Amino acid sequence: MMPLLLQQIANGLVIGSTYAVVALGFSLAFTVLRVINFAHPDIFMVGMFAGLVLAVPGPWGFVVALGAGALGAAAVGYALERTVISPLRGRDVLMTLIGTLGVAIMLENGMALIAGPDPVSYPNLLPREFVDIGPVTLTLRQVVNFAICLALLVLVSLYVRATKFGRATRAIAERPDVAAAFGVDVGRVCQATILIASAMAGVAAVSVGAMYGSAHAFVGLLYGLKAFTCMLVAGNRYFEGVMVVALGLGIIEALVTGYLSSSLRDAVAFFVLIGVLLFRPNGLFGSYAT
Amino acid sequence: MTPLLSVSDLAVSYGAVPAVAGVSLEIFPGEVRVILGANGAGKTTIIKTVLGLLRPRRGTVRYGGEHDLLRLKPHQIRRLGVAWVPEGRQLWNTLSVIDNLRMGGFAERDAKAVDRRVDEMFERFPRLRERRDQVAGSLSGGEQQMVAIARALIAAPKLLLMDEPSLGLAPIIVRDVFRLVRDINAMGISILMVEQNARQALRVASWAYLLEVGAIVDSGPVSEIASHSRIQAIFLGGEA
Repeated sequence: MMPLLLQQIANGLVIGSTYAVVALGFSLAFTVLRVINFAHPDIFMVGMFAGLVLAVPGPWGFVVALGAGALGAAAVGYALERTVISPLRGRDVLMTLIGTLGVAIMLENGMALIAGPDPVSYPNLLPREFVDIGPVTLTLRQVVNFAICLALLVLVSLYVRATKFGRATRAIAERPDVAAAFGVDVGRVCQATILIASAMAGVAAVSVGAMYGSAHAFVGLLYGLKAFTCMLVAGNRYFEGVMVVALGLGIIEALVTGYLSSSLRDAVAFFVLIGVLLFRPNGLFGSYAT
Repeated sequence: MTPLLSVSDLAVSYGAVPAVAGVSLEIFPGEVRVILGANGAGKTTIIKTVLGLLRPRRGTVRYGGEHDLLRLKPHQIRRLGVAWVPEGRQLWNTLSVIDNLRMGGFAERDAKAVDRRVDEMFERFPRLRERRDQVAGSLSGGEQQMVAIARALIAAPKLLLMDEPSLGLAPIIVRDVFRLVRDINAMGISILMVEQNARQALRVASWAYLLEVGAIVDSGPVSEIASHSRIQAIFLGGEA
């Protein structure tokens, strides 16, 4: 009984850490730019394919692929910011929502046109080994994925709390006018924020591709919905809140898979969403006034 | 002498609703000037336009004789030496007191200089040192106003725009705030203040503007304007 529980919690943390990276990207865009970036999950997808295409064999293959994922995703993020978000930002939130949704559809179907609509197998970037951690057994790939995602989360948390630019990022999130009046170039911080969110999604995407051994043009959809839910459940007041909720969702999903049924798994997120928003409409950790 | 700030024929609207129509005012280096007016008269609109946060429909805003502020973004205007104490404090409630103060020096490249100024503010306001790591949202109204003023001073401004610094504060704190305004001015910082507390404001200012529904209806040196019937009637509770 106990071993299954621990095993499922470990599996849940692995997948939850990935949700957390994507969710944090959503949350950064929404909190700092007031933009619901529906293209974010597809930037994740592009990162996954960038890693797949540029992966080289050999021990450095994985590192190169991570770098390629980050660059590929950041490039799309940059283009999106320049062409859609920046021109539409500050107007009705629906305008950027529709604009980014359009880009999302373009990216998904563009990639399906290039790579085909079916899953594509990912190069073997990491050995197939198992790691025993006490009573829990994970694949090496799961451990690496968890470590990478966790490192990304810690880095972002350090960035927003302990650096001057990061402080300005939080200042914009709460009061953009006051931040601007105190010398913050809001446009530049917004650009940097989208770049950071995209690059880290790209890194996580390569690590997920390597973990499951496949990439898919429509992979963003599932991650996107889960990540979006995590942001709403957590509220946007604390970036760390989004991370906690995403890890929690991963664990709950794994437990549902382990004890109930895997077909229920993807519905759980939305039960949680409805349940939480019913009682705490600003999310578990609160939100900024808009 | 060239004015430090000169606003002329300023008109600002929110959508189709005019907030300010044809306002002109100026302030010379070293002065304290006050804009008196009721809620909705357009006081904050003027301040926000000077800061570059609102775009006017017409008019000019010149700074130091040479800079056209309407062509600059807020962060560029900050670098010219303009700082702001916003209406209702508007601290970053989720940031600690010390982070709020550090943000005041965001435009300063020299991090050491910012640390030094933060320390100076802790000397001046010991209460803030005690609360340096608390989030600003947890402070009392008076303490928050101290943070808002300290934040602006850390920006080392030439021109300080103060938007209703006495709003929502206890009378005893209001006195402290106006004493502070005088001290700040004595440091050589010019102050353009917006107030409803005319009695206090007229004690520290040398020149006053009376704003009514988006237009200046009276202005002059405080020594003269304080006796004008309109100001007496509206703000000072005297006989009209």
